[in-house]
Amino acid sequence: MNPAEVLLVDDNPADLDLARDLLIANEHPRQVSAVTDGEDAVAFLRREGRYTSAQRPDLIILDLNLPRKNGWQVLEEVKSDPKLRSTPVVIFSTSEAPRDIGNCYRLGANSYVRKPGNLQDYMAVIQSIGQFWFQNACLPRREEQ
Amino acid sequence: MKAFDAEILLIEDNQDDLDLTLHALKRENLANNILIARDGEEALDFFFCRGSYAERNFDTPPRLVLLDLKLPKVNGIEVLQQVKSDPRTKSIPVVVLTSSKEELDLVRSYNLGANSYIQKPVNFTEFRQTVKHLGLYWLVVNQPAPQGTCEPAGQES
Amino acid sequence: MTGEIMTSEIMSPVERPSSGDRGEPLRVLLVEDNAADSELVLRELKRAGFDVTSELVQAAEEFRLILEKFVPDIVLADYNLGQWRGMEALEIIRNKALDIPLILVSGALGEVTAVECIKQGVTDYVLKDSLPRLPVSIRRALREQRLRAQRKQAENELALKVEELARSNRDLEQFAYVASHDLQEPLRMVAMYTQLLAERYRGKLDEQADKYIHYAVDGALRMQTLVQDLLAFSRAGREGTKMSQVDCNLVMRQILKNLEAAIREKNAVIKHDALPTVLANSSQLQQVLQNLVNNAIKFHGSKAPEIEVRAERTEMEWEFFVSDNGIGIAPEHADRIFVIFQRLHTREEYPGNGIGLSICKKIVERHGGRIWAESGAHGGTTFHFTLPALEDKGNPANRGAEQKNPETKDEEQTYEPSGSLVSR
Repeated sequence: MNPAEVLLVDDNPADLDLARDLLIANEHPRQVSAVTDGEDAVAFLRREGRYTSAQRPDLIILDLNLPRKNGWQVLEEVKSDPKLRSTPVVIFSTSEAPRDIGNCYRLGANSYVRKPGNLQDYMAVIQSIGQFWFQNACLPRREEQ
Repeated sequence: MKAFDAEILLIEDNQDDLDLTLHALKRENLANNILIARDGEEALDFFFCRGSYAERNFDTPPRLVLLDLKLPKVNGIEVLQQVKSDPRTKSIPVVVLTSSKEELDLVRSYNLGANSYIQKPVNFTEFRQTVKHLGLYWLVVNQPAPQGTCEPAGQES
Repeated sequence: MTGEIMTSEIMSPVERPSSGDRGEPLRVLLVEDNAADSELVLRELKRAGFDVTSELVQAAEEFRLILEKFVPDIVLADYNLGQWRGMEALEIIRNKALDIPLILVSGALGEVTAVECIKQGVTDYVLKDSLPRLPVSIRRALREQRLRAQRKQAENELALKVEELARSNRDLEQFAYVASHDLQEPLRMVAMYTQLLAERYRGKLDEQADKYIHYAVDGALRMQTLVQDLLAFSRAGREGTKMSQVDCNLVMRQILKNLEAAIREKNAVIKHDALPTVLANSSQLQQVLQNLVNNAIKFHGSKAPEIEVRAERTEMEWEFFVSDNGIGIAPEHADRIFVIFQRLHTREEYPGNGIGLSICKKIVERHGGRIWAESGAHGGTTFHFTLPALEDKGNPANRGAEQKNPETKDEEQTYEPSGSLVSR
């Protein structure tokens, strides 16, 4: 449905690799970009610094434990920026702590998905994210610049 | 569990769409505990525990709300706006499920804090698929906000 | 040794054997305004074999000052000293937090006054006309003082040990929590990537390789479970225990709901009496009861499990009983089962990691109760645990009546620190 673009934010290269592989294998988003810390994520989204030619993503998949700027800070910046606000953010984290989850929703996260610890569940979860957000949901159209 | 403590709240006034959604949810075994609100006012009464829902409790939110935009009395955008601007109800996942093809509705919904936005497929098979994926995603994969967390706890970092 | 540093600790001359017959001279502080009398006293001590160094003071201020540089083993004070009394010397010693025996040596001291003085803390009194009694009195005073100091020291050491133990326990718990928490992330990588290897390369390498990968996956998954259990165990000790009045009947209802599948699968029959309302952390209490009931279902014998839950009120406590007709526990193992990761059976016989009961024990003990198990000779086990009873005996809820209750309201969320907090 949507030839969409996704931004993965995760500081663990092993996680990034796996998520990217699985998303691409599912043929859902057209392109998967990845950054490994919070500041880069914000720069990417605002097309600043070395990201001036970056495509604005249709969906952000965001880990919480990130260097330089943590996931909550990134989330807060996205959701308080009128230009970025409408972009859905799916939090993808290993944390089960109610406080961590609650804070994400308070800051405007669209969804919270727990990173599973084994491959089968991980694949199922990524599949479900891809299916729902890229096949079923409508994402705001990017204003091409 | 009280009758009010629904797992899914379906806010929809169109009987055909309602039947279709319920049917699809039932087929996927996702229809355990569905509550239906037929207009925006009733939906708001549910969210804010008043009127005929006065005995409801903010601590037992539904896991998923499916919200149509064209509603009698109070429209869907207004419902969304109220629910998402109140800390007591903000964390409840609200997915807009509408036949609107307006890009404006979509952007507005996301900007107001809708968790997701879905255009109702016209084709029945497709509709069923959509409801299936939606149910799987929001009732199984998505982690809801913990119950009873109206108080803004400080952010840890 | 100066008197300056002795204000907070009782000064104990115990390290410095002080009675004259142990080598070092006996340090005597005389409080006396009659020089002849003090001479007599010293002579008497020498005659009794004491090697004495002494100081003599007359006025209160003088007394205070001398204590700064001369810490005596014993103070011998006249009762009546013109402007002040020997009893005031006792006050001064106490204010300096010293433990030095004081013996009144007085010309005339009525019986009533003497008894009063001893009540106030004077060690003994000796009349000047029976000075030969003085050495005996001194020896006894020193002996008592030594015992006192030894006891005090032992108490201090014990308190220190207890504090040390508590701290190392806390450290250990913190370590278990942080370690298990931080182990999860790399372990997740190992588990997932070995699984990925297994999936993508099965049959493409040789048979040996497939087997090795299988072992690696299996090991990683087992370790994941262990780490999660360890985390659950240390969490049981870390979480704040928000206490509220908990109706155990509601807790039991929730447990039956949670265990519905297992109950149905094993055809278990679970009976419970009207249960009391107790002061507890609701979710932790539920965890204890649910673990016990779950165990009772799991360790069933040849018959379908029959389980009974009840509670009895004793003087100060509620005693809970969870009885089953299962395989029982040999008496020699009855204590071992509460130790973390102890299992009495192989994983093939009964699955599990041996974590449930150790969590129960931790929770019950945090609530100020005890937990133990008893098995009959022919199988069947009863787990007992106690919880402090609510103050109000007349509370109808305590008789098990169905009550208006805060219902599930008492299930507060206890938040644990976020991952990011822990790892920093």
